[in-house]
Amino acid sequence: MASAEQRAAGGASATGPAAGATGPAAGATGPGAGPLLQVEGLTVHFPIRQGIIIERRIGDVRAVDGISFSLARGETLGLVGESGCGKSTTGRAIVRLYEPTAGRVLFDGVDITTLDATGLRRMRRRMQMIFQDPYASLNPRMTAGGIIAEPLEIHRVGTPGERRERVRELLATVGLSPDYASRYPHEFSGGQRQRIGVARALALEPDLVVADEPISALDVSIQAQIINLLERLQGRLGLTYLFIAHDLSVVRHISDRIAVMYLGRIVELASSRDLNRTPLHPYSVALLSAVPIPDPAVEARRRRIILKGDVPSPAAPPPGCRFHTRCWLRERLGNPVECETIDPEFRSLATDHQVACHFAEKVDGSAEQLQAAGRGTGGGAPVVPGGGAPVVPGGSAAAAGGAPPGARAVPPPGASRPGE
Amino acid sequence: MALLSVEDLVVRFRTHEGTIHAVNGVSFELEEGERLGLVGESGCGKSVTNLAIIRLLPKPAGRIEGGRVRFDGQDLMALDEADIRDLRGREIAMIFQDPMTSLNPVLTIEEQMVETIQAHRKVGRDEARARAIELLETVGIAQAAERLRNFPHQFSGGMRQRVMIAMALALHPKLLIADEPTTALDVTIQAQVLELLRELTESSGTALILITHDLGVVAGMTQRINVMYAGYVVEMAPTGELFAHPSHPYTVGLLHSVPRVDEREGEELIPIEGRPPDMRQLPAGCAFAPRCAWRLERCWVENPPLRPLVEGTPIVTTGPQASHLIACHNPPTPDEAASGRPTRPGFSPAPAPPGLIDELSPRSNGVPGGLADLVEAIEAIEGPLSAFPSAAGLPLPPAEEGPDGER
Repeated sequence: MASAEQRAAGGASATGPAAGATGPAAGATGPGAGPLLQVEGLTVHFPIRQGIIIERRIGDVRAVDGISFSLARGETLGLVGESGCGKSTTGRAIVRLYEPTAGRVLFDGVDITTLDATGLRRMRRRMQMIFQDPYASLNPRMTAGGIIAEPLEIHRVGTPGERRERVRELLATVGLSPDYASRYPHEFSGGQRQRIGVARALALEPDLVVADEPISALDVSIQAQIINLLERLQGRLGLTYLFIAHDLSVVRHISDRIAVMYLGRIVELASSRDLNRTPLHPYSVALLSAVPIPDPAVEARRRRIILKGDVPSPAAPPPGCRFHTRCWLRERLGNPVECETIDPEFRSLATDHQVACHFAEKVDGSAEQLQAAGRGTGGGAPVVPGGGAPVVPGGSAAAAGGAPPGARAVPPPGASRPGE
Repeated sequence: MALLSVEDLVVRFRTHEGTIHAVNGVSFELEEGERLGLVGESGCGKSVTNLAIIRLLPKPAGRIEGGRVRFDGQDLMALDEADIRDLRGREIAMIFQDPMTSLNPVLTIEEQMVETIQAHRKVGRDEARARAIELLETVGIAQAAERLRNFPHQFSGGMRQRVMIAMALALHPKLLIADEPTTALDVTIQAQVLELLRELTESSGTALILITHDLGVVAGMTQRINVMYAGYVVEMAPTGELFAHPSHPYTVGLLHSVPRVDEREGEELIPIEGRPPDMRQLPAGCAFAPRCAWRLERCWVENPPLRPLVEGTPIVTTGPQASHLIACHNPPTPDEAASGRPTRPGFSPAPAPPGLIDELSPRSNGVPGGLADLVEAIEAIEGPLSAFPSAAGLPLPPAEEGPDGER
């Protein structure tokens, strides 16, 4: 999204990130080349303890269980999934708010999971977070100016006078009056607070911004303001986003690529366009089909895939494919045994389209896949009935656009999961 | 005669910080078996309207200060406390957003369901229990007999909401009011619950009022929609008609401010500027005027009434032929509604007359949001942004994003 020139210029500014100061990057690719972020086999387990005096570890919540992806400079990767799938934990482990149990997180070539406190602090300047709840994430006893200036103070950037000036700039950048610096969080509305959260995240001119459900606490009419702000700032400042959200329509809108998570794993990773046109994992298809579309004509035509039951506990994920307990495709195929016994490989099925399903080829071109994005014809598909209303062929513009379904070439499997 | 008729309902809350004008003259009707959506943002009065209908407003702050509610031939405002309690649950049932707070955490599901059934029906314990099992099975809870012995915390969010639906429909009510029933749930669980809600209301002929902020949810679930803003119904139409011809600037704004999962690539969002008004001091004119891209000068001073989109047509209040009503002095044309912006040449929204409440400054708790602030704020958002250095110390590119929603 952002041009390379803008980014380069941003890096050259007076207080830009000191690229050379990131310590010895033993053998890793030097800063500036390659992807900004590379996550390899990231695992975060939270121990479950029992006992009051003698605490015993009786198990683990396997919140994130070996996920890998990379993030190019200036790109937005959307991380989508339902509650408990590990998307927020992933975001926090990447900036090391949580200690990863295993795996590597290479930021600009440096593995941040092994950095000491000093090295980590230096790295954190370049990666910032925006949190979900603008009511809980701002200290009510600090002024907006104090909140935005705090990262500058922690990292000892500039003189007090310069910081004040910087706060005014940042407020203007996020569309607030510079004079609001002296006001307290309770004087602002939710949308304005989230703008302050964005300004704070930008204070240190980060390269990477991890936005964890940044709009889901906001009213509908305010959400678009923040989405547009984030998009515009990305273009201007060359930011790279990891955008975490449960809402597929929002993720799709803002992301270049999307990773779908289920029970601690990435089950599908593809470009935003491919994921919405031709989702290949049965869970992605179900997730997409469950998103309501504000158009009754489309809704009447669509058939939802209603998944049975709830997400299993991440403390005891099902063996084999983690989705097999709820999978509509497995049922259709007569419950093949490998779904229950073999953990599917995360494999490439098309260019830049990876999926972890033994039978992803059966999803491609299926009625469910077409239905999910609201572009199928609705006729005769043996999907769990979700319509109820009569099928209206044609209808709205949603059916328009896109290559004819099922016309995808499936290259031979080969490229496998990186770094494992 | 309609099953439910609400006429000119006015609800206020008296608080230490002033009177909140929660509902300001809302009228609508509902036929038996009809499914109506109430759409709007938090604080628009959609929940309060329904709490007022079943007389569950928090006391003593919440008061019905005007209007009439008739249900099945009865005047609900005139019923005494015992009668209205009997009516609730038996004739009108409700389910709320958070099923955890609607269920008693220290009682088993069995105790709660049996109590509900016995409160309204003269049946023995065994019979009530059998009915409870049957209901849990209807809403798709496996091993219902064993699950009855569980406490609410042993159920997941989606299952708790199923239990609530089972309890709500236990007594075959004529009307079910569902207030954001799926907002706390994940999207795949939302799909399950909505499906169930539709199936059960359809098969039993129960009328449904579905309250939500999500236009996608009402699109697939309802036959008619009321769009509410600041305690007013601003647009009212059959569901298909509303989405085909959205005609109030607020409805148009809502539709353009949410991304659609089936949108075309590169589709931009057009946010609604500003934020909802302070319900303690509503503007004198149209409540939406300060945020409206179509506002005229009169919008600042004169609150438009709800009237037919096609002037002079008779008003039909219910059914598939219900009239399309809007409260707007200057409705967007169909082309403008499709593009999300006023497109008529030379039009710009009328500036606020001097002295009106400053919409862009922070909340006015003791902070005078004067006109100087307003000017500053507008400059900060709309002004020559290139004057400010960017966060990275770069001069910002001139505002080439002219059509950008944020301006």
